Amino acid sequence: MSQRPWKVVEERRAYWSMVCPAVILYVFVFAFPIIISIVISLSNYAGGKMFGGEAWWITGFQQYIKLARDPYFWLALKNNVYIVLISVFGQLPLGLIFAYLIYRRIVRFGEFWQGILYMPAIISVIVIGIMWNIIFSPYGLIAELVNRSYAAAFSRQVERIFSEAGGFQITDEVVKRLIAAGGPTATHIFADPVAELKALLSHYSPDQFAVLKQDLVNLLARKWSPAFLAKRDVAMLPILFVVLWMWTGMYLILFLANMQRIDSGIVEAARIDGASEGQIIWRIMLPMLSGVVVNAAILCIAGSLNSFELVFAMTGGGPARVTQLLSIYMYDRAFMGAPDYPLANAIALAIVIFSLILIMLTKVVERRYGGRE
Amino acid sequence: MAVKATESSVSRVASVFGKFMAYLVMGTFALMTVYPIFWLILNSLKPTPEYRVNRIGLPRTWTLVNYIGAWKIGEFNKLIGNSFFYTIGASIGIILVATLAGFAFAKIKSKATGPIYGSFVIGILLSIQSLMVPIFLEVSQLDRIISDLMRLIGIIGQQNVNVFYNSRLGVLLIYIGAGLPIAVYLCTEYIRGIPDSLIEAARLDGAGYFEIFRRVILPMAVPIAMTVTILNITKIWNEFALINILVSKTELKSMPLGIYRFSGTMASDYGKQFAALVIGMAPMLIFYIIFRKQITKGVFAGAVKG
Repeated sequence: MSQRPWKVVEERRAYWSMVCPAVILYVFVFAFPIIISIVISLSNYAGGKMFGGEAWWITGFQQYIKLARDPYFWLALKNNVYIVLISVFGQLPLGLIFAYLIYRRIVRFGEFWQGILYMPAIISVIVIGIMWNIIFSPYGLIAELVNRSYAAAFSRQVERIFSEAGGFQITDEVVKRLIAAGGPTATHIFADPVAELKALLSHYSPDQFAVLKQDLVNLLARKWSPAFLAKRDVAMLPILFVVLWMWTGMYLILFLANMQRIDSGIVEAARIDGASEGQIIWRIMLPMLSGVVVNAAILCIAGSLNSFELVFAMTGGGPARVTQLLSIYMYDRAFMGAPDYPLANAIALAIVIFSLILIMLTKVVERRYGGRE
Repeated sequence: MAVKATESSVSRVASVFGKFMAYLVMGTFALMTVYPIFWLILNSLKPTPEYRVNRIGLPRTWTLVNYIGAWKIGEFNKLIGNSFFYTIGASIGIILVATLAGFAFAKIKSKATGPIYGSFVIGILLSIQSLMVPIFLEVSQLDRIISDLMRLIGIIGQQNVNVFYNSRLGVLLIYIGAGLPIAVYLCTEYIRGIPDSLIEAARLDGAGYFEIFRRVILPMAVPIAMTVTILNITKIWNEFALINILVSKTELKSMPLGIYRFSGTMASDYGKQFAALVIGMAPMLIFYIIFRKQITKGVFAGAVKG
C-alpha cells in the first residue's frame, strides 16, 4: 500500500477514538466488576470505604470453601439447574413444534399465534411475577376456578340426591348421602353430622330449594387450596411453569424465521415420498436447523441465568428459601441484613463460571452431533 | 383400489385429528397467555370488596378508583418521567456508541479488533444480573473516591457527591454498557455488509473517518439501528435488577421499582395491586401492538448467533 504515514496515523487515531467509548463502558460494566468480584471474593472486605477506610486484605479461598459446605448454596444451584432444564427441554421443543405447526400451515393464522405467544416476553418480569403469584395464591384465579368446578359438581350431586329421594324429603338417608358427597368439612363443624345437619335442613321449606342448595354448597362442597405450593418439593413448579410460559414464544419466532429460509421443496418432496410430519421434524428440520438449535440453547441457558427478577417478584426466594436461586442468594447476602460482600462476590463468580461451563457443554454437544447446516 | 381408498381415508382422519390436536395445544397455550392478562384488567376495574366475592365475572360496578389509588401509592407521577428518560437516553447512547465502534471494527483494519470485538461477543452471554453486587461496589466506591478527592482540593465540604451511585448519569452509563455487547455485535456484522467501495470513494474525496461515519455509514445503518433500538426500548423500560441496586431515592426510580411496591405486603388491597400491574404492562403492550413486526425482527436478529 502506498499510504503515506500520516494516513496511517489518521486511521489509527480514528479507530481508537471510535472504539474508545464502547471499550470504556464495557470495562465499566463488565470487565472491572468481574475483577472486583474476584478480588473481593478472596478478601475479608467488610463494607465501608474500600480505600482509606478500615484495612482489609486478601485471605484466600475460604469463601469458596464456605460455599461448598453451604446447603443453601446447593439448593440454589439445584433450582438454577431446574430452570436451565425447563428452558432447554421445555421452551426449545415446544417452540420448535409450534413453529413447525405454523410453518407447515397445520394451524392457520400463523401471525396471530406468533403475536399472542410472544406477548408475555414483552411485559415487565416484575409484573409477570406478581401477577402469577396472585393467580397461584389461595385468593387467585386457579383456586377460584377449581373451587367453582367443585361447587358445580357438588350442586349437581345435591340435585341428584334429592331427585332420587323423590323430592324434598329430609331423611337420614338423604343427609348421609349429602355428607358423603361433600368434602371433609361436615365432620369438622358438626359433632354429630347426620343429626345436626338434619336439624339444620328441616328449617327450610320445600319452595326454598334453590337457597338450600346454595347454602349446602357453601357449607359442604370440597374446597381446594394451593397451599401445597409452599412445600419444599413443589414450590419451584409455579416458577418453572412461568419460565416456560414466558419464553416459548421467543423460540417460536426464532425457529419459524429460520424454517422459512429452508427450501420448501425439500419438505414437499419428503411429504410426497410418504414421510410423516414427525419424521420430517426429526430427519429434515432438526438436522437443517442444528446450528440454530445450538445457538438457541446457548441463548436459553444464558437467559435462564437471568431469572433473578421473576423469582424476586414472585416468591422472593421463599417460602423458607426453597425457591432461592444463586442470584437471589447473592442479593440477600449483599443487600439484606449485614452485608457479606466476600461471600456475595464468590456467588457472583460461581454464576459466571456455571454459565460458562454450560455454554461450553452445549458447544461440545454441537461439535459431536450438530454441524450440518 | 378399495384398499387404497381406505388407506387415504384413514390418513384423512388422522390428519384431521392431528389438526384438531394442533389447534387444541396452540389454543390452550394462547388462552393461558391472554386469559390471565384479561382477568387482571377486568379485576383492576372492580372495587376491592367486590373482588372478594366476584373473582371471575365481569365487574358489577365499573370503577377507576383503583387506578387513582395505585398511581398515588406507587408515586408513578415521579417515576414515569424517569422511565422515559432512561429508556430514551440509554437507547440513543447505545446505538451511537455501538455504530461508531461497529464501523471501526468492520471497516478499519487493526490488530486490536480481534480481542476487543471478541470480548464484546462473550459479553452477550454474560449474565449482567450476576454482576449486581460488584457493580454496586464499583459505583458506590467510585463516588467515595471522587468525594474524597474533591474534599482534598476543597471544592466540597463534608457532604458526599453522587456521580455514579444514586444518580441518573450512573444508571444511564450502566444501561448503555449493559446493552453494548449485543448492539456492537449486530452493528458490526451489519456494517460489514456495506460495500468498501463506498468508503474508499469518500476517502478519495478527502473525507475523514468521522465524516464518512456521518455521511455514509449512519444513513445506511438505519435499519439495524431501528432493530437494535426497538429491542433496547423494551428491555430498558422493563429493567429492574440493576436499577434496584443503583438508586435508593424515589425521585430517581423507574416504573418497575414502583410496581414492585405492590408485591407481598400490599396483597390485601387487590384492586390497587391489579391496577398497578396493568399500569406496569400497558405501555409495553401498546408499544408491542404498534411495533410487533419490528420487535419480532429484532428478536430474530438478536438471536442469530450466540
